[in-house]
Amino acid sequence: MALPRSLRSCLQRPCLLRSPRARLGGAGGGGLILQSLSGDVYQNLAVEDWIHEQVSLENRQVLFLWRNAPAVVIGRHQNPWQECNLRLMRQKGIKLARRRSGGGTVYHDLGNINLTFFTTRKKYERMDNLKLVVRALKALRPQLDVHVTDRYDIVLGGRYKISGTAAKLGRTTAYHHCTLLCSADKSVLSSVLKSPYKGLKSNATASVPSSVRNLLEEDPALTCELLLEAIAKEYATWHQIDHHITLINPADEAVLPGINSKAKELQTWEWVYGKTPKFSISTYFDMTYKDSVLEVKVDMEVKHGRIEVCNIDAPEQWLPPGLCQELAKSLTGSRFCPDEVAVLASTLLRTCPQDNELRNKWNLLCENMRMLM
Amino acid sequence: VNSSSVFTVRYFRTTAVHRDDVVTVNTPAFAESVTEGDVRWEKAVGDTVAEDEVVCEIETDKTSVQVPAPAAGVIEALLVPDGGKVEGGTPLFKLRKTGAAPAKAKPAAAPPPPAAPEPVAAAAPPAAAAPIPTTMPPVPPVSAQPMDSKPVSAVKPAAAPVAAPPGEAVPSKGARSEHRVKMNRMRQRIAQRLKEAQNTCAMLTTFNEIDMSNIREMRAQHKDPFLKKHNLKLGFMSAFVKAAAFALQDQPVVNAVIDDTTKEIVYRDYVDISVAVATPRGLVVPVIRNVENMNFADIERAIHELGEKARKNELAIEDMDGGTFTISNGGVFGSLFGTPIINPPQSAILGMHAIFDRPVAVGGKVEVRPMMYVALTYDHRLIDGREAVTFLRKIKAAVEDPRVLLLDL
Repeated sequence: MALPRSLRSCLQRPCLLRSPRARLGGAGGGGLILQSLSGDVYQNLAVEDWIHEQVSLENRQVLFLWRNAPAVVIGRHQNPWQECNLRLMRQKGIKLARRRSGGGTVYHDLGNINLTFFTTRKKYERMDNLKLVVRALKALRPQLDVHVTDRYDIVLGGRYKISGTAAKLGRTTAYHHCTLLCSADKSVLSSVLKSPYKGLKSNATASVPSSVRNLLEEDPALTCELLLEAIAKEYATWHQIDHHITLINPADEAVLPGINSKAKELQTWEWVYGKTPKFSISTYFDMTYKDSVLEVKVDMEVKHGRIEVCNIDAPEQWLPPGLCQELAKSLTGSRFCPDEVAVLASTLLRTCPQDNELRNKWNLLCENMRMLM
Repeated sequence: VNSSSVFTVRYFRTTAVHRDDVVTVNTPAFAESVTEGDVRWEKAVGDTVAEDEVVCEIETDKTSVQVPAPAAGVIEALLVPDGGKVEGGTPLFKLRKTGAAPAKAKPAAAPPPPAAPEPVAAAAPPAAAAPIPTTMPPVPPVSAQPMDSKPVSAVKPAAAPVAAPPGEAVPSKGARSEHRVKMNRMRQRIAQRLKEAQNTCAMLTTFNEIDMSNIREMRAQHKDPFLKKHNLKLGFMSAFVKAAAFALQDQPVVNAVIDDTTKEIVYRDYVDISVAVATPRGLVVPVIRNVENMNFADIERAIHELGEKARKNELAIEDMDGGTFTISNGGVFGSLFGTPIINPPQSAILGMHAIFDRPVAVGGKVEVRPMMYVALTYDHRLIDGREAVTFLRKIKAAVEDPRVLLLDL
């Protein structure tokens, strides 16, 4: 069963150590260790999709090593508003990605390593993969107190999570990927993974928060590079293949035909936000206007990331009659997105008779609405 | 074929006869001693699916498992609610098998514009792979399906859904169909407001042309030091914004507005310029405030900041609110000439267009110069022709020779 031609030609490209021919075959079946040259979360997720769909895994396993610039990655069926602080992420320029596997939310940055184990569906075995990682860590530092829990986490010192797992089962192929915290920024991690949004009710998959720790904190000499090497070596030994890492460029259409459109799809609003299971919001906010504090109650239902039902209950007479209703009706059908609300609100305002009082009140109300998103 | 002589046994399909039968698909067994999972539906009742197309995903313990359709057909029923729990073997959905495998339904979901606020109705009979808006004539019911099974596979998931009268040939090129999409509220409101503005204002447009050579030369000469000192690119907008502010101070009536309720003319001594920008979300009009006190660098900075905010999705509503005068640049789309429409409740709008090299008369000779047509649409109830033309000429003078601003001419 031949590899797709393009990936085969990738193998023939001059790489790290040796010539490619010796790599495949061998006693334990074939195997491939790939490492991404890119830190773009969408491109790397696209590579996973590509390998999952295009590479034949009969008699072959593939290990894919990747790292990302700061990003939050949510599971396939999660609700980003429930899982992370989208406002903070927008301010800091931290991307949001939705992966295709299940599981919970994680924070990635270049101090975190991602490992994806590709096998046939029959050979899918998460425990084996994680034990492999633990072996690799122990080979580097025999005294390291790491073990795999029955929730498929890797735990350090019995209490700190250093790795989380997720997986996807296709019809004939499967992949299991996990993170490994080496030197990630823990303060950013904890601030972005805390959702400020209140009143959300949803049956989306919820994350289970854990205390985390970096391997670097155990031993400052444990760098990402060292860990990647160790894991690749252990993988090669276990699967009896050459210890040879092939670097791939996730933007290269010649090697991975169709990759760019996969990456693009992963970035669309429809995928990242639109795939959120239906949820409802029932909340209120207090606005301070001049000397009084007003309470506004908001009830919304959001499906496919779009507002299906919207109810805004503001104090009577505060705004011209019907304007609040008009806002609620206009929001119905639009995306649950602060951007869109801003455009909507300012357009609506321009269709009203102008006076400063109205303008200030309107801005206050609409900014508060945007804060919900 | 006499169907009564053929048994339909579940999961056993006779190849000789295309007979509808309904299959119940169960939850696959879970791997690794997992006992239950949550169902997430990808398809809805009435959706047409191809063989192996994913109908739902089951999430168990951090793993996402896809459940494909065992054959091509139409989803007849979903037996578990979205997010509901299932165990291995739990019945998931019923599929009514059809003979033909329709073209992938997924691309069809995209073309009906997402802007339409009505959630796209996914209930589409197999004859048309695309969702059908509400006002179409009723489509043949599913029972007519077997008759049509021959050409169904020829139906392409085109953006324009087609309703084929039963028994007729498959819709193809030449089918003259319509496609109705309800106007969203925002569009309706804007339309109403624009019409109101058009009915109250006496709108007229006056034109002029601007020789952009000097401005180009100024940019060429000073853009590097400008970039170095201010860390900003020197663009064209600052020249026009500044010129407009200058002209508005010179002709305050253009900066004023009629208050129809009190029948007063409201003069403003501040100049807030709205700059119209087309974004994927719609037209946004961020406002640069108090331009009368700004120099080129200040203006470029303000424009840059607004641009950054827009890019990072941080534009606040108050950034886009107000304004005493609007500048709209049709030139980015290549427009040569055109009449902008006033942005209510203002009294005038300046339309910039694209710069094209044109032969013009300069000092009695023909020269090729980079020329831009500009248009000023104004409310004639408030602004007279002479004022409007003088105003536009002032802008022209200030852009063609920025020294005019310096010398306050």
